[in-house]
Amino acid sequence: MNPSGSDNIYLPRTAILERVVDDIPEVKTFYWRFEDPAAQSQFKRFRPGQFAQVSLFGIGEFPASLPPSPTESETFFTIRQVGSCTAALHQLHPGDKFAVRGPYGNGFPMEDYYGKNLVFVAGGIGMIPLRSCIVYAIAHRQQYQSIQIFYGAKTPRELMYLKNLDEWQNTAHVSCHTTVDRSDNGWAGHVGVVGSLFKRPDVRIPVDNTIAFVCGPPVMFRFVIRDLLEMGFKQSNIVSTLERYMKCGVGKCGHCCIGVAYICVDGPVFTYEQIKKLGEDI
Amino acid sequence: MKARIIDSVDVLKIVDLLRAQGREVIAPFRGRGNDTYFDTVTSENRDDVQIHFANPSYPPKRFVLPHIEQMMKFHRSDGKIDMEPTYEHPPRAIFGIRSCDVAGISHLDRFYLDREFRDIYYEKRRQNLFLVNVVCTDPARDIGENCFCMCADTGPAAREHFDLQLMDLGMGQFMAVAGTTAGQTLFNEPIFRKGTPAHVERRREILGEARKRFKTTTSWFPATVRYVSQDKILDSTWEEIGKRCMECGGCTYVCPACTCFTVSDRQTGPDEAERVRIWDSCALAGFTRMAGGFNPRRAVHDRRNRRFFRKLAHYFIQRELSMACVGCGRCVSVCHGDIGMPSVVEMLRRATAERALPSAAEKASPSVAEVDKNEPVRQ
Repeated sequence: MNPSGSDNIYLPRTAILERVVDDIPEVKTFYWRFEDPAAQSQFKRFRPGQFAQVSLFGIGEFPASLPPSPTESETFFTIRQVGSCTAALHQLHPGDKFAVRGPYGNGFPMEDYYGKNLVFVAGGIGMIPLRSCIVYAIAHRQQYQSIQIFYGAKTPRELMYLKNLDEWQNTAHVSCHTTVDRSDNGWAGHVGVVGSLFKRPDVRIPVDNTIAFVCGPPVMFRFVIRDLLEMGFKQSNIVSTLERYMKCGVGKCGHCCIGVAYICVDGPVFTYEQIKKLGEDI
Repeated sequence: MKARIIDSVDVLKIVDLLRAQGREVIAPFRGRGNDTYFDTVTSENRDDVQIHFANPSYPPKRFVLPHIEQMMKFHRSDGKIDMEPTYEHPPRAIFGIRSCDVAGISHLDRFYLDREFRDIYYEKRRQNLFLVNVVCTDPARDIGENCFCMCADTGPAAREHFDLQLMDLGMGQFMAVAGTTAGQTLFNEPIFRKGTPAHVERRREILGEARKRFKTTTSWFPATVRYVSQDKILDSTWEEIGKRCMECGGCTYVCPACTCFTVSDRQTGPDEAERVRIWDSCALAGFTRMAGGFNPRRAVHDRRNRRFFRKLAHYFIQRELSMACVGCGRCVSVCHGDIGMPSVVEMLRRATAERALPSAAEKASPSVAEVDKNEPVRQ
């Protein structure tokens, strides 16, 4: 049913931009809240991996992942400036208004993973949707076995959520590894693609009873999947979230329909076993 | 369902009755050539309404899903933004809608209303729409070269989803069947009278005769749906279909069962904007292109594949409980590459069946086995 409680599934609700944080070049995080507190508390029931439709008046609407975890108090989007809508959002200042509807999609079944090891593999802005799951998993740490995070970016300047990374590196029973494709001056960490972290001597990835979350650009996705399958991961234990052009978010406009699925209502979260059957490029 | 008899000379009085109810009545008219089109009935053109006619190329879908539809208006003043959803749903009737198009609207009902999210724009229009189905009985005037409703099981007489159905019994009489209580209410009018068992028998005879008069266009869905659903279609077959697509989007534009749309914002004033939705087509290159330029569906055959896969895969038929092809034949008429639904169904069926059942000689040949191995089925 319509999560925003209105009988019009396409009608967004007004949101107020509270503050903007520069993350990496071209990417900013926008903290916002709904004008109507009731809408805010309704929205806050989202699950990690769900998404929302963001409206810029007179410009258009675009789908955006939800990087916050429902366990956090604030709502925000992390958005790369790439088209006309995202460019318009990047122009906004605190206090400006836009509109949001959602949350939509299936999200990650985090409760089903209780008692399992979690491995997060993120490449570039693929960290945006996975951030929600990681924060959620750490907030429910007693429910999971080991939590491992592998995060790769092109350069050190393009590593996002530095405060979070620092925090995760210092959380007990959580290991967080970062890598860059090309190092800059002053980078003392690992250099190489994200999959190269798996082969480090200090890394042991359990394969049994483990769920691997993979999110990143297509080429990274392909190589990481290959590595995980070689390690012995079952296809059904690898999960990801797909990105598609969407106009409605509610299974009507047809733009995100691939294979036998509408990404917006049947996804965006799929196991690799399901993704293979969709029969299109990731 | 109740049935009545009405004289041919009185049939257009149904249009008058619906207009007297305050409805805008849409009906088929004849153009200057052989073309026909749906238009609003007025006092001037009322007598030109057609009963026997070739189904118009532009389907009546636009009366439930307009080609361009305003969804909401935005107004900005003093830092405040008002959003106002806009609805336009006058009481309407379509007089003379063909059985295939009735099935098309029924499919749209299932798609827009029966799923998790109800589309309120569609719902409001649909609730105010009265359908008078006219059965195709005249092989010369009603049944087109490209009609294949028999294969889609939607005609020549719709079984449901109409308010009133009319069928020419010849001899100056029509049989009217009520599909809803709203339709049945019309039977209180003196133009309708009770029929006899002979009328029912006559209806059966005419339908039997009309079924025999369909032309050569056939579309053998069952086998093709099975092959598509079981993932047995070769990439090379999709590619062959794709090569014939000129990416005009015409098939989606005339399809009574296509549902895709795009949404666009337009400035309407210095502090005003509107959000509209516009029919869209999966045959067009930009359909899946994301901001930044990445397009997961690159080749033209991927897009062709998409439209036919969406219509023929068992999964979607099960999901909507009806197939997104109603056998109207419009895609056959508009396609320059001869890849309307019946051709595609035949190409898919033949290529797959031939591959599945190689002749004895081919079986013995190792080279054929080699070719098979090199052409993996679509994963």
